[in-house]
Amino acid sequence: MAEEHALAHPTPRQYVQIAVLLAILTAIEVALYYLEQGVEAFTTSIAAPLLILLAVMKFVIVVGWFMHLRYEKSLVSKFFTTGFVAAMVLYVAVLFALGAVVLL
Amino acid sequence: MADIAHADGHHDVHESTGIDNRKLGMWVFLSSEFMFFGALISNYMLFKGRDYSAFVPAGQSVILPRELYDIPFTSVSSFVLLMSSLTMVLAHDALVSGDQNRTRIWLAATGLLGSVFIGGQVFEFTEFVQQGMTLSTNPAASAFFVLTGFHGAHVFLGILMLLSLYGISRRQGGLTESQGLNVELVGLYWHFVDIIWIVIFTIVYLIP
Repeated sequence: MAEEHALAHPTPRQYVQIAVLLAILTAIEVALYYLEQGVEAFTTSIAAPLLILLAVMKFVIVVGWFMHLRYEKSLVSKFFTTGFVAAMVLYVAVLFALGAVVLL
Repeated sequence: MADIAHADGHHDVHESTGIDNRKLGMWVFLSSEFMFFGALISNYMLFKGRDYSAFVPAGQSVILPRELYDIPFTSVSSFVLLMSSLTMVLAHDALVSGDQNRTRIWLAATGLLGSVFIGGQVFEFTEFVQQGMTLSTNPAASAFFVLTGFHGAHVFLGILMLLSLYGISRRQGGLTESQGLNVELVGLYWHFVDIIWIVIFTIVYLIP
């Protein structure tokens, strides 16, 4: 199991760089929102997948680097990922079944 | 306080899993929280786009949450919460380095940023109520207040835990090894609250 701890944690400087990246991604999200509102050609079907992609990137960065999941033993990842995937599968299925989500 | 933790941020553990039970318990708890917030987010998505004209007297317009959102304001709130994740991880890093002073400073900064976020949410709720949208206006409004309200309650609980750690550290002049693990656990909780807001900000506020 030693190889699971081989990665060194980021330094404070690297944490700041990660936070700057998160701030930039948030700024892009807000810019996309205004593009969707103001530019006719930039429809929701274009903006929504991009916004979801950016949210997933931010999610992965915070979980991986700030919560140190990428440095933890695989058991921790399995527990955490199982809960996330189970919730996603359950609620996406429910939303599809009830018609709250339609394919873009 | 050099005995607080090893340089890689991990503590000696004797459990068969190789992971401290308290830490594993926190990860399992956070994993279960996906179900909780998933239900509230799904609830909002189910009700946000429906026709509520039957809920208002004839001639009056339906008030939906998305018509009242102040995106620039919420963007700043989101930024503040993201930066609180940075200060939280810096608190943990300072603790691992054995720097108790810096740990306290970053813990206090995290609590302060969390308080700013909560203040923003209280302001937002007040504005919405003044504009006529309350918990009982229609199911979409109800779903919005329940979702963001529960998230706010989680942030508030996190602030209380941060203040407790700060107070203990100040009173004792530092945190012991066991209390040091608590910083890591509170940090996990705090980052989790942040990732839930990342999802809420996108799904509730930004996607029409």
